[in-house]
Amino acid sequence: MGNQESGKGRFWVALRRPSAKYSLFSLLAIGFIGGLVFWGGFNTALEATNRQEFCIGCHEMKDNVYEEYKYSIHYSNRTGVKAYCSDCHVPKDWTNKLIRKVKASYEVWGKITGKIDTKEKFEAHRLEMAEREWARMQASNSIECRNCHSFEAMSAELQKKLPYKKHMEAKAEGKTCIDCHKGIAHRLPKGYKKPGADEEE
Amino acid sequence: MKTVAALVSTSFLALAAGTFSSSAIALDAEAAKALAEQNNCMQCHGLRKDKDGPSFLSTADKYRGKANAVDEVVKHLTSGRKIKLADGTQENHKIAKTIPPNDAAQLKNLAQYILSIQAK
Repeated sequence: MGNQESGKGRFWVALRRPSAKYSLFSLLAIGFIGGLVFWGGFNTALEATNRQEFCIGCHEMKDNVYEEYKYSIHYSNRTGVKAYCSDCHVPKDWTNKLIRKVKASYEVWGKITGKIDTKEKFEAHRLEMAEREWARMQASNSIECRNCHSFEAMSAELQKKLPYKKHMEAKAEGKTCIDCHKGIAHRLPKGYKKPGADEEE
Repeated sequence: MKTVAALVSTSFLALAAGTFSSSAIALDAEAAKALAEQNNCMQCHGLRKDKDGPSFLSTADKYRGKANAVDEVVKHLTSGRKIKLADGTQENHKIAKTIPPNDAAQLKNLAQYILSIQAK
């Protein structure tokens, strides 16, 4: 016990003692390069989890939402511009991306415990999962949509008249993309009811 | 006389076929509502209220009792035909999308739902 403590003590003393053997330059250089390697590695790993192959590595994603997304305009279209899973579901800025990734670890927990491991179970939880994602998009003012789309870039000549009118109304009312555009890449969950749908009747 | 009998039997058959084709699949209103929502139909059509486009009820009224109603509505949903807006301008109607694409059963179901709307 005493030996261990003195061993630990020696370690701290050694850490705090100025180096007599290595120059300040080599210490800084090693620190700098080590930092680069660590940071680069961390970011590369983080980016790897943003790739489509990673997302559909889970059959829960591959068999349900990915299958539906394959038929959407964000997967295949005239001009060949494609939005991958992470383009819509992971924020681009670093802090929010990290927060999203930490939250996603709960989804991994769901995967491990088999909460949604069959189509039936997935469907049973789909509304709750979708609502969570819609709330996230609403809170961020649909930033992932707006990374590519903006009201300002909509052309009155090129966009159809009626959608253009609706978009300008939405802009004036301060609405955000996800308010109207739900279920554009995946099926809307069963049991979803648009707020105020009854009044519209 | 023979021609009359043939005519009667053909029209009876046509009627039977019409009835059969429109009621072959039971209407799944929930699925139809979800598809309408997904395609943002309700942005321009009210269920019973005219908006930029006519209400579903007025479409139902227009086709009530007509044998080709379902097919006509499906055609309207899928062909992107020219429509006249409330303000008099014209543009092509949005083409309804399904997953998987052009799923006849889902489109028929939506058409049946639209045609099933009754006045309150």
